[in-house]
Amino acid sequence: MTATTISREPLPYGFSPFAHLTVQNTDLYRQVMGAFVVAKERFAVHLRPEDVYTALPAEVRPPDLDALVKALESLVGWGNLRADPDTARVTAVEDFYRKRFIYQLTRAGEAAEEALGVYDDALGRRGALQAVALHDIITQLRALLVLAAEEQPDRAKIHLALDVLASRFAALADNARAFMGSLQQTIDLHDVGEEVFLAYKDRLIQYLERFIQDLITLGGRIARLILELEDAGRIEPLLRAAAAREAADASPEEADHAEGEAYQRWYGRWTGLAAWFISREGRESQARLLRGRALGAIPQLLAVVRSLNERRAGRSDRSADFRTLARWFAEAPDDDARHRLWRTAFGLYPARHLTVDAGTLAARAALPVPTATPWADAEPLRISPQLRRTGSYERRGRPRRVESREESRRRLAEVAAKQAAETAAARARLVTDGITRLSGLGELDPASFGLFLQLLGDALATWRPGMRHTVATSNDGSMGIRLSALADGGTAEIRTAGGAFRGPDHLIEIIDLTDGGEDR
Amino acid sequence: MNSNPLAEVLDGQHAADLRKAARALLKQPLLLARGRYADEFRLVRRHASELREWFDRNTGWSLQTDAEAARLRKIPGVLSDPTHPARDATRAAAPFTRRRYVLLCLALAALERGEAQIALGRLADQVVLDAADPHLARAGIQFTLDRRDERLDLAAVVRLLLSLGVLRRVAGDEEAYVSGAGDALYDVERRVLAGLLAARRGPSTVHAEAFADRLAELVAETALDSDELRFRAMRRSLTRRLLDDPVLYYDELTDAELGYLTRQRGFLTARITELTGLVPEVRAEGIAMVDPDDDLTDVRMPEQGTHGHVTLLLAEYLAASDAPLTTHQLGLRVRDLAAEHGGFWAKSAREPGMEAELVEQAVARLAALGLVSRTAHGVAPRPALARYAVGEAVVLEPGTSRMPAQRKASKP
Repeated sequence: MTATTISREPLPYGFSPFAHLTVQNTDLYRQVMGAFVVAKERFAVHLRPEDVYTALPAEVRPPDLDALVKALESLVGWGNLRADPDTARVTAVEDFYRKRFIYQLTRAGEAAEEALGVYDDALGRRGALQAVALHDIITQLRALLVLAAEEQPDRAKIHLALDVLASRFAALADNARAFMGSLQQTIDLHDVGEEVFLAYKDRLIQYLERFIQDLITLGGRIARLILELEDAGRIEPLLRAAAAREAADASPEEADHAEGEAYQRWYGRWTGLAAWFISREGRESQARLLRGRALGAIPQLLAVVRSLNERRAGRSDRSADFRTLARWFAEAPDDDARHRLWRTAFGLYPARHLTVDAGTLAARAALPVPTATPWADAEPLRISPQLRRTGSYERRGRPRRVESREESRRRLAEVAAKQAAETAAARARLVTDGITRLSGLGELDPASFGLFLQLLGDALATWRPGMRHTVATSNDGSMGIRLSALADGGTAEIRTAGGAFRGPDHLIEIIDLTDGGEDR
Repeated sequence: MNSNPLAEVLDGQHAADLRKAARALLKQPLLLARGRYADEFRLVRRHASELREWFDRNTGWSLQTDAEAARLRKIPGVLSDPTHPARDATRAAAPFTRRRYVLLCLALAALERGEAQIALGRLADQVVLDAADPHLARAGIQFTLDRRDERLDLAAVVRLLLSLGVLRRVAGDEEAYVSGAGDALYDVERRVLAGLLAARRGPSTVHAEAFADRLAELVAETALDSDELRFRAMRRSLTRRLLDDPVLYYDELTDAELGYLTRQRGFLTARITELTGLVPEVRAEGIAMVDPDDDLTDVRMPEQGTHGHVTLLLAEYLAASDAPLTTHQLGLRVRDLAAEHGGFWAKSAREPGMEAELVEQAVARLAALGLVSRTAHGVAPRPALARYAVGEAVVLEPGTSRMPAQRKASKP
């Protein structure tokens, strides 16, 4: 096939690289462009039609190479691709006579692909909050803390740490926004098909659980680190240092105010980050909002499930059923008929049985009545003479008093409240306020010791052979512990009312995750 | 099988719980998770799968349970029993009238279409709209709900729905609506509402015109075109009657049913006894599944109180007579009895002119228990009435002989 002359006239408004979206065979065009984008990621600039052909997925691949060449030429026409004569050696005569081209992305085509990628992303993304981002933020905040403690911190390091922090945070915030949006979509799923919804439901609930867990455990730690950095204005010099480094690149005429502007920018980012994790001045932190949103999503999801179930349960139109019944009741010949209709349609009647007393039963067991005996000939049920004479049984004993459980319930509530208070107090006593030695803990009261043992257990559970250091969070997420082994082989002893607890000495830090930084 | 005593105790416990749950369902086919029957509900929920299987196999009734309610969709063994009317949720428990039945269904239709909450005033508006249906108008039903007695009817319907758990009151009360002074707001429990109809077919899909055909089609099973299916249908219908009704008289059965019952009687009654604790009383005329615990019933005999006493005394009178008695004769008897026993009766019952009402109450009770039947000429005793033989019991001297142990404290 010979190449046709290709019009290089751009379409009006200069958006011709998007033209392939509104014509036939859009799928093929997009796949072809996709192949070029993938190739570019692998630093392959030029592609021959054969390369594109093999890169296409089987379901969109045209029946022969010529159809693909045609598509490529159209794309060249819209300005997405550039065609250059192919000067490579050929091995067949007809190939020599064929007009051969190699293709590459034009800048316009590349920009269009990028735009489409963003578009797909924004629509396709369900939103996800990676724990990875949270971990990275923690790492960078720790690095900043270390830098802040130095006498002469390295500006470049500060800048790098802040930069990474800012970019990780931006990614996190983007994801969170997408996540909130997708949650809303899910809740609005009322109109989607049942299977789609049910398939999505389990995945979403799983995801929500993981997400809430991440946010609670890691969010609290981040909040604490942020507060630590803000404490005594430690963060401000760091921000200034970063701003100064950035301003160093500014052109001479901008140099005066560049540093001020850069500082403002960094300050803004920092407040944004802090506002994300810490509630203050009456505004709830984003993290908290997200958590509430995620928690709230579960009951809303369940409401959707319920409405689906109701829809499924209604086989006939029940409203019509009831109207029909109303008519039947109106048309029924008499009250007896209506009572029969009620019993049959609604089936809400109780069972009804004659009674028998223990004495009669025993007598029958001893001397069974033949089944062919008429009722009149069988031994009758005996009626109390008192009942027959007066219409009531003998004087009844006083009814058994209903036991009131109010008292015990209140006592339980008190015990529960007291336990909660004790636990809180024990937690407060246990917090180490920085790093200390195990042997420095001294004496613990039973409540604190119990809590300490649990925490130690949680920490040791993460301990693997060869480890010198571990960090753990208690099962309920309320406390964190950091434990480092010591080389000096000393022994720690903790005295309690019940005896002494001994073991190799460690460095230990215990943090209360529920107060201070954690927003509650 | 279980040599281990703990396992035996647990088995016994399980059987007792299962029995309690089954009886609760038979007494109250709709059990709610909250309110008076919460304990029974939990019991049913725990044994739901066993109960579901039993009822499905033996009666064809389906049991639905969810977190809010348990519903046994009962279908009566006989469609001809008029002694189970819907009743007011008040103490008087008056049977529903034609207007109330119609209002009830219209209200349910409105609730079915409506939102999760509804105000009584709004419900009334929708009922009035639906009542404009030409079919209803032709049957002579009309609601405007601006007269007080009409509003009373609607209030009675709403109270029944409240007691069933279809509605839950949020604010206000029905009194205020009846007197025109206010309104009431309710939550609609859609799942309870969804399970309210027990019929196998939706009434809107039934096109029969005759009343009896309509009833029959509501509960019609699919075509019974094999012996096995026919036997199963028979087993189910007989079990339904034995489970629900006080007495199953042989003369009410078809030949096929009687034949099946004769062959399978032991099996059928044993299954019921195992589940419910009811004991078969097999006589020449029929079978009564009698209740040693005396609580699986809504109507008792014998019973205390004025009406119970009159019922007992009239039962004695009826049992002694061979022919049907007219209500007039029974009224005269009541007047005589009042002279002898009136001292124990409620004051209102001793007033002249009350005889007819007392007779009506007593006959309704005896008829509901299958002990008498109403005929065109009066009231005829049925065979099972003889099981009471009230008069002879008087020969027992207090404190000398065994006394019926049912429902009473020790002898003084």
